[in-house]
Amino acid sequence: MTEESEVGTLVQASAKGDEAAWNALVRRYAPLVLAVIRNYQMGAADAQDVCQTVWLRLVEHLADLRAPEALPGWLVTTAQRECGRYQRRAQKTLPVDPHSDGIMKQGTTADPDLDILRAELRQALRDGLAELPARDQRLLRLRAADPPKSYQEISKLIGMPVGSIGPSLRRSLDRLRQAKAVQAYLASSPAAGRVGGRPT
Amino acid sequence: MSSPWTDDELLHELAAALREEPVDDYIIHAAQGAFAWRTVDADLIVLELDSGAIAAAGAPVRAGGSDARRTLAFHGEQLSVEIEIDEAGIVGQLAPPQPGRVTLLTAIGPGPSAQADEVGCFAFPPPVSGPIRLDCRVDDDHFVTQWVTV
Repeated sequence: MTEESEVGTLVQASAKGDEAAWNALVRRYAPLVLAVIRNYQMGAADAQDVCQTVWLRLVEHLADLRAPEALPGWLVTTAQRECGRYQRRAQKTLPVDPHSDGIMKQGTTADPDLDILRAELRQALRDGLAELPARDQRLLRLRAADPPKSYQEISKLIGMPVGSIGPSLRRSLDRLRQAKAVQAYLASSPAAGRVGGRPT
Repeated sequence: MSSPWTDDELLHELAAALREEPVDDYIIHAAQGAFAWRTVDADLIVLELDSGAIAAAGAPVRAGGSDARRTLAFHGEQLSVEIEIDEAGIVGQLAPPQPGRVTLLTAIGPGPSAQADEVGCFAFPPPVSGPIRLDCRVDDDHFVTQWVTV
């Protein structure tokens, strides 16, 4: 059981009591859970409490998780719900907008929904990459490195003729698009495809 | 299904995904430790009502006007539990009313235990903030509530 195993394998093994599988699940999805929680302004201790509650909930939910592809969505929804509960309890200290007499929207950016969608997309890309053959993963990682490796460097590193790298890269990207995690993300929301990709 | 991204856009987003800030080890370790709470011999009682959530969803309570008491109701097929939490502590009742042993569990380990009386009532001192759940033993049956953050 490794961090590269498919999410379905990890979920099933965790449900049967495999702690290594659980540890790998946590490591893979912790960034997604935290990305959701960061959209709600709360102190570090409260954020940790909410985060821990989400994982404790998942432990009790593992056996009923029929479709493992639904795990990212389940984590996002559970984290949002717990953050919402936390905020409503803490509302005495929340700012109230005098014009609407409502609680002012919390969050660090103009559109928290978009931030969460982006966090889900990035999680789907990491999961999708883990689904691909090692050769595709290596090529994509080299090209997605910061700064990206040139075709010449990649050619030397993986022993592929420079002329083959462009076409190989396109095929690897196509396989990433078709990866189960990426397709599940795209099917999850009508707005899913509008997020991501615009170089900033 | 076609993809909404060009090759360059997809590579750019993949690079961002791989660069995302790593999560602190203590958060990972705490989350991994949650696995120790996996129970296979207890029935789960699900959170059905959270007064904090309801009050706020309807009309936001203005500063100073809110009641610090929070009511949580957990529902299960054989056993339900209702608790109220305020600064004085937790008071609760099992339904249907019956005696039993109730233990307050926190993410770092078991907390205090209390005997529910003939009508199912029990009480605990105020819990430290964080995730909690109740472990209820009635006759030979074993139940646990969902985790909630207090």
